[in-house]
Amino acid sequence: MHIKAVPLADIHDPELLALLERCSALGVPDALFPGVLARVPEYAKVLLRALAVSHAEGAVDHKLKEVIRVQLARTAGDAYFARLRSRKAQAEGLTEETIAAGCGKFEADSRFTDAEKWALAYARELYLNPERIDAAFYAEGKRHYTEAQIMELGAFIAFHYGMQVFARTLRLPSPRGSSPPR
Amino acid sequence: MALRYSELMALDPDRIDAAFYDELKRHYTDEEIVELGAFIGFNIGYHTFFGTLKFYPMFAPDGRLVSQEESARIYGAAPASLVARGDQACT
Repeated sequence: MHIKAVPLADIHDPELLALLERCSALGVPDALFPGVLARVPEYAKVLLRALAVSHAEGAVDHKLKEVIRVQLARTAGDAYFARLRSRKAQAEGLTEETIAAGCGKFEADSRFTDAEKWALAYARELYLNPERIDAAFYAEGKRHYTEAQIMELGAFIAFHYGMQVFARTLRLPSPRGSSPPR
Repeated sequence: MALRYSELMALDPDRIDAAFYDELKRHYTDEEIVELGAFIGFNIGYHTFFGTLKFYPMFAPDGRLVSQEESARIYGAAPASLVARGDQACT
C-alpha cells in the first residue's frame, strides 16, 4: 500500500465522516480507499459522493450496476474493488453466480435481459475495445434505455473505472472476509 | 514524474510500483500524490467515455461558436493517441 490511509480518529470533518459512514453501510468502498482520499478532504468529499450516488442512486437497477462495477474492476486489474460487494445489491438478491456470469460470457446467458446484456457489453467494450462503441451500438442501447439512463450508465462506468485504475496502482490490501476474485 | 504517472496509469500500470511511488514522494507530498492520482484516474475514465459520444469543443480556437461539424473539422476526428506514440510513450 503505497499511500497510507488517514486514521478514522483523525478525520473530524462532519460531511466527510457522513460520507464515510454512507460508504461503509453500502460496503463499496470500505474504509480503506476513502481513508487514502481523505488526505485531500475536499477531493474526498466530492469523489466519495460521486462514487455512492452513481452506484446506488439513479434510474438504472443497482444490482446491474454492481455486476458492472465488479466487471470493470477486473478489467482495470484492481483486486481491491473487485473483492468488495454492495450490501444493498446482496440484500436485493444479487448472487456471486450472477456476478461471475456478468464478468464472463454473458451474451448467451438467459439470466440477463437484452437490456442488461447491452449494458454489460457497454462496460466491457468501453475500455477494452472503445472503437466498437459506435453509432450503431448507441442506437441499440436506445432500444433498451432512455438517453438519460445511458448517460447515467456511461458516467457511472467512467467514474468507477477511473477510480479503480488509480486504486490499482496503490496496491490496497484485499478487504477482510472478501470474496475471492474470479 | 507527474506526466509519467499519468502515462503509466493509462498504458502500463504494472510499472507503477513501490519504487515509482518512492520516486514520486521525492517530488510530491502524499496529499499531492492522492490529488494527482485521483485526477488522472478520473480523466482516464471519462475521456474514453466522452470519446465514444463523438462531441467536439463548442468554440473554435479564435473564440467563435461553431457547429459540431465544423468543430470536428478544426479539431480532428480523433485525438492524438498515446498508443500511437509507440516507443516514445512511458520511456
